[in-house]
Amino acid sequence: MENDHLQNYLSDWLVKYELVHRSLGFDSRGIETLQIKVEDWDSIAVIFYVYGYNYLRSQCVYDVAPGGFLGSVYHLTKIQYGTYNPEEVCIKVFVPRKNPRIPSVFWIWRSADFQERESYDMLGISYENHPRLKRILMPESWIGWPLRKDYITPNFYEIQDAR
Amino acid sequence: MTVPVTRKDLMIVNMGPHHPSMHGVLRLILTLDGEDVIDCEPILGYLHRGMEKNSGKPNNSTISTYVTRWDYLATMFTEAITVNAPEKLENVQVPQRASYIRVIMLELSRIASHLLWLGPFMADIGAQTPFFYIFRERELIYNLFEAATGMRMMHNYFRIGGVAADLPYGWIEKCFDFCDYFLTGVVEYQKLITRNPIFLERVEGVGIIGGEEAVNWGLSGPMLRASGIQWDLRKVDNYECYNEFDWEIQWQKEGDSLARYLVRIGEMKESIKMIQQALEGIPGGPYENLEVRRFDRAKNSEWNDFAYRFISKKPSPNFELSKQELYARVEAPKGELGIYLIGDNSVFPWRWKIRPPGFINLQILPELVKRMKLADIMTILGSIDIIMGEVDR
Repeated sequence: MENDHLQNYLSDWLVKYELVHRSLGFDSRGIETLQIKVEDWDSIAVIFYVYGYNYLRSQCVYDVAPGGFLGSVYHLTKIQYGTYNPEEVCIKVFVPRKNPRIPSVFWIWRSADFQERESYDMLGISYENHPRLKRILMPESWIGWPLRKDYITPNFYEIQDAR
Repeated sequence: MTVPVTRKDLMIVNMGPHHPSMHGVLRLILTLDGEDVIDCEPILGYLHRGMEKNSGKPNNSTISTYVTRWDYLATMFTEAITVNAPEKLENVQVPQRASYIRVIMLELSRIASHLLWLGPFMADIGAQTPFFYIFRERELIYNLFEAATGMRMMHNYFRIGGVAADLPYGWIEKCFDFCDYFLTGVVEYQKLITRNPIFLERVEGVGIIGGEEAVNWGLSGPMLRASGIQWDLRKVDNYECYNEFDWEIQWQKEGDSLARYLVRIGEMKESIKMIQQALEGIPGGPYENLEVRRFDRAKNSEWNDFAYRFISKKPSPNFELSKQELYARVEAPKGELGIYLIGDNSVFPWRWKIRPPGFINLQILPELVKRMKLADIMTILGSIDIIMGEVDR
């Protein structure tokens, strides 16, 4: 295990500047997890970029509970010269299921281009200000959001139930 | 007679999903002005098989058949990440011998993947000969894999807690012979390709990415290292036992396609060095360590009694994931392959997101081809090293 001495470094720093967030503890490897509100996300994303987190490693979405919220997860890292233990943070933004819209971070970290398109494609969260937000993996005319837990695959039936 | 007026509009050309450039089913819609490329839009999804949704159904130990189909040229890495993620989640210790065997297999797989990158890359540029040479070396690697795992390509070798079976008798000597032979093979490629003026004309200065830009676009693997950033997850993360070997990160400064080629050739040579060190230092001992974790919950439940043993088929023992989340990653030959795993106190994970290196490295393609000629597209696309199995999943 990496960090024996788990401390909420980033959370304390954000509190010092009075930025609204909520700390969600640590994940299995000791990476700090923070929850940011949707309204604040675009400004806090710029703050993180300026603070040095220049590498958006992975952006994914998941369904918190069927009928509940949808969560968008961002893993950020600082790539600097000569560090072998880079700082990382995991940020989650939750949106309600009815009208899921999150500001896009494409203009800050370009690596969100295809990843946000895939999140839109799979779960239906629309990212505002993304230059080309359209379906990327499914055909463009597909209806429905495949990775939601309440998604019903059209025209799919078990062969043993067919009569 | 009227002289035909040359059209002044831009031409939109479709490099359709089937094309003979061996990169898989990738569709590019190009906007051309004569021979210059104005814009390019990649369209993906032709090989989308819904792997992330499928991971809800089969349990963690049988998913190996799916994962090797993402990056089907470097299959050990996909298996390694599938196994590393639950191991890190539950803190399962891997015995030393298994760790060494894994490193040997991973580095052999890295060499195999870089070889099969080199062949189509040269074939796209126009040189058909290296395409056959690489298969000669890849056949030797296939033979080694088949002796150890039973399958040439889609091995089902890695298990949670170790590997499936030990190395057969005499495998280590055969591997040493392969390493010696391969070093002469790499010298042959250097003589044929690296100082070839036609190759250099085609490849030097094409598709330049700066260091800052590469980090911002989220690139990883040889693309990042060719732009001057020395970021290799084997040194940064220290997973498996890479820190016991003596090796260097291969990197270049220029950021063009020639730099990416040199980084990959260098990585092949470093991999051979690592394999030789691992083979010399491999310890004895057990190769798997799974039995400890199985019946942790209901120790003496009545359903395990004698009377119930023959009622119906018991499902094969599985690995239960607790309710935590984790982002695990390995340094695949194409980049950083990661899995974001949210466990759910059952054998099926709640979310199993794959972070494919090819998908993210492909984002930069429209930027890179913007001012290039039509013939440079294949050079740039080849040097990005994508494989549609993992781009589309």
